[in-house]
Amino acid sequence: MSIRELFRHKLGNAEIAPDPLLGSKLMRKQARKEFIRFNPVRFNAYYLGGILVATISAGIILSPQSKKQDHPSSLNQSISVSNVVSSESKQISAVQPESQEQNSTNQNTSESTQKKPALEIKGPSVSNSPQRTTEEVKKNIVYTSITDSISKSSFQGGQSAEMNKLKGGFKSVDASFEISATKGCAPLHLNFYNKSGSLDSCRWVFGDEGYSIEKNPDWIFDVEGEYKVVLTVFGPDGSQATSSAVITVFPKPLARFEIAPEKPVLPKDEIRFFNYSTNAVHFNWDFGDGNSSDLFEPRHRFDKFGNYNVRLKVSSDLGCTDSMIVMNAFFGSEYFIDFPNAFFASNQGPTGGFYSAKSDESSQVFHPVFSGITEYQLRIFSKLGIVVFETSDVNVGWDGYFKGQLCDPGVYIWKVRGSFRSGEPFIKMGNVTLLRN
Amino acid sequence: MMSDQQIIDGCANHERKAQQILYDKYSHFLLGVCMRYATDKPEAEDILQDSFLKIFSNIKDFSGTGSFIGWLRKVAVNTAITHYHKNLKYRYHVDIEDYVSVEAGVTSFEEDYFTSDELYQVLNELPTGYRMVFNLYAVEGYKHKEIAEILGVDTNTSKSQYSRAKAVIREKLEKLGKLRSSY
Repeated sequence: MSIRELFRHKLGNAEIAPDPLLGSKLMRKQARKEFIRFNPVRFNAYYLGGILVATISAGIILSPQSKKQDHPSSLNQSISVSNVVSSESKQISAVQPESQEQNSTNQNTSESTQKKPALEIKGPSVSNSPQRTTEEVKKNIVYTSITDSISKSSFQGGQSAEMNKLKGGFKSVDASFEISATKGCAPLHLNFYNKSGSLDSCRWVFGDEGYSIEKNPDWIFDVEGEYKVVLTVFGPDGSQATSSAVITVFPKPLARFEIAPEKPVLPKDEIRFFNYSTNAVHFNWDFGDGNSSDLFEPRHRFDKFGNYNVRLKVSSDLGCTDSMIVMNAFFGSEYFIDFPNAFFASNQGPTGGFYSAKSDESSQVFHPVFSGITEYQLRIFSKLGIVVFETSDVNVGWDGYFKGQLCDPGVYIWKVRGSFRSGEPFIKMGNVTLLRN
Repeated sequence: MMSDQQIIDGCANHERKAQQILYDKYSHFLLGVCMRYATDKPEAEDILQDSFLKIFSNIKDFSGTGSFIGWLRKVAVNTAITHYHKNLKYRYHVDIEDYVSVEAGVTSFEEDYFTSDELYQVLNELPTGYRMVFNLYAVEGYKHKEIAEILGVDTNTSKSQYSRAKAVIREKLEKLGKLRSSY
């Protein structure tokens, strides 16, 4: 009998007695589940919930009636009455009349609630009623204005009493907010602080097609321009008020530059800096070696190779800045070796590979530019892998001849190994194209 | 004594008494199934409890065709598989000694040579992954392809786990056999 059969026969229908307590535990669990399941026949969670809801709502309905009777005057005491004129421009602080309870209790007093104008024309920070001074804080700038329909109506004499009465005693809201700044350089990151009184919800429209429903949002203006920020505040009873401010975002300058030559030989080469910055009027260069310049396109000589961080800081006429850093700009070493990738072999016969300023000028000999070489071995291979040239003298290059014959034009492979004066070894490989005049 | 059909109807109507009878009648058998998938009895009883909750709430889905006991077994096996997936993080906890290749030894065992308790113990001691594959393939009769889908592994994994499980079981059984013959 195989293992498979053994287990199948023996255990396929085997029985084990469970713990005697397990059955009752299971039944309790099942009963709990059953209680949560909706069943119209049985008392369960839904009925229990229904009873709770009924009890609570009955309590709510009954309680305010008793309160009203107990404290008829307490509501009126909490009302502060002040009024504000919203004049043509935005920078006026305003608070609205809150006259509703008077209306509901006494029509005569409601007329007297109007026109207690508390008004000040603003400086950067304006406040009118004393209780607001604490709110309208220090460094931030406050803009408030009111365009609520109810508040407008309240300026029209006796009409407003009727209006308020018709609207059943709305508690109006006022809208005001503070901004961390009103102008700045792009990208401008601003914090907005909603300083409106009682509010249910609010909506910010930022003028760049963005909006927010947070109470105190923060926003980033990426693009330069003027943006009108509008705050709309919704009161608990559906009334609303708005307030707005203008944000000016200045264009950001762009710092860009290039270093030439790309692979300089220091300290021989003078380094040039090409300036591609835009929107900038002031330039400040830090070459990283302790020197600096204010020129548009400076030139500079570095004494030696080093990990210089070259930084250009630019600023616009509006004071916005940008900067660009090239890290480790001249990390090269004063010892180096480099090869060209093409040369013109002379058809005047082999030259022996000695090169001079003249042959160098017409590129008739393939040879490196180098500095600080102590050991050197150069080999050049044809495409078939034949060594066509070999030398251990760095002052001898290849004239394009192999065994007295001018080689075919085409691509050849070179490999060089050696060491610098610093003791550092080098191995380089590459290809060179032999051209013929 | 109620017939199976009466029990099923009663349970479908959420009658407490029918549920109790169903439990009394089949819990022994289903615990026998769950025990094969668990490391110990408490774990098996956990699976059993979940199985019964599932059975009670889904009994109206039992079509009436096919055997009722087969349906119950299937629910228990599926619950055990769910349980295995919940504890997946232990899946790769396989002792290195379980990986040793086993030399071909005795291939045939006498049925009456081992008690079912011993066989259960052998199963319980297996690594969880081996136990799942072995049970599903050898006892439940699933195909390797189905097992691979159920456990979310490769078909070849199922095959190799099965053969390794078999090897480990054989070794354990031989050990048991030797112990016995030494009496």
